[in-house]
Amino acid sequence: MPQRTLRFRIRPDGRVEERVEGVEGEACLGLTERLEAALGSVERREATSEAYGTQAAQTQPLPVEQL
Amino acid sequence: MSHFSTVRTELRQRDPLMAALRDLGYEPESGSRPVRGYRGQTVDADLAVKMTEGSDLGFRWNASTGSYELVTDLDLWRQPIPVERFLQRLTQRYALHTVLSASVEEGFALSEQTTTQDGSIELVVTRWDA
Repeated sequence: MPQRTLRFRIRPDGRVEERVEGVEGEACLGLTERLEAALGSVERREATSEAYGTQAAQTQPLPVEQL
Repeated sequence: MSHFSTVRTELRQRDPLMAALRDLGYEPESGSRPVRGYRGQTVDADLAVKMTEGSDLGFRWNASTGSYELVTDLDLWRQPIPVERFLQRLTQRYALHTVLSASVEEGFALSEQTTTQDGSIELVVTRWDA
C-alpha cells in the first residue's frame, strides 16, 4: 500500500509551495486541483527528479573553505 | 512524476477568509453590510469587521477576478501593522485553512505542522492508497 506524501510551505506573504513526493497518483492530482481552485493561480510548476528529496542529497557536505 | 508548484494565493472563498480574520483577532460579520470610512461615509462590502477606531475593514467580492478584495479607508488605517503586512498575514492564514480543509476532503491526514524561523508554515500531509 503506497503512502502518498505532500509537503506544503506557506510563506509569510501567503505564497504556497507544494511538493508531491513519490509517484503522483490520482489522489495527489485531486488534492492539487482542489487547492489550486481555492488558492489561486500557479506561478511555477516543475517536475522534480525522484532523487531530489533524498537523504543523500540533503547530507551533501558543504565545501570547506581553505584558509 | 513528482512535481513542485508555487501558487500565488488569492482570497477566493468566504469560509477560510472568515477563519483567517479570526486568527488575526478580528470578528468578521458575513453578509452585505456598510463599511464606514472618512466622516462616516460608507461603501457596501460582502463581509466586514467593525472597528471602534478608524475605518472598518470590508471585503468585497470581485466577480471579474473571482476573489475578495479589501475595502477600507486607508487614511483612517489604525491597525497595529501596515496594510501590506496585514494582507500578507491574512493571506498566509487563509492559505493554511484552505490547505488543511482541502487535504482532509481528499482523505489526507496532517502528520506535521511547523513554523520556520522565517515565519513560513510547513505542513506534511499523508494518505495510504490501496
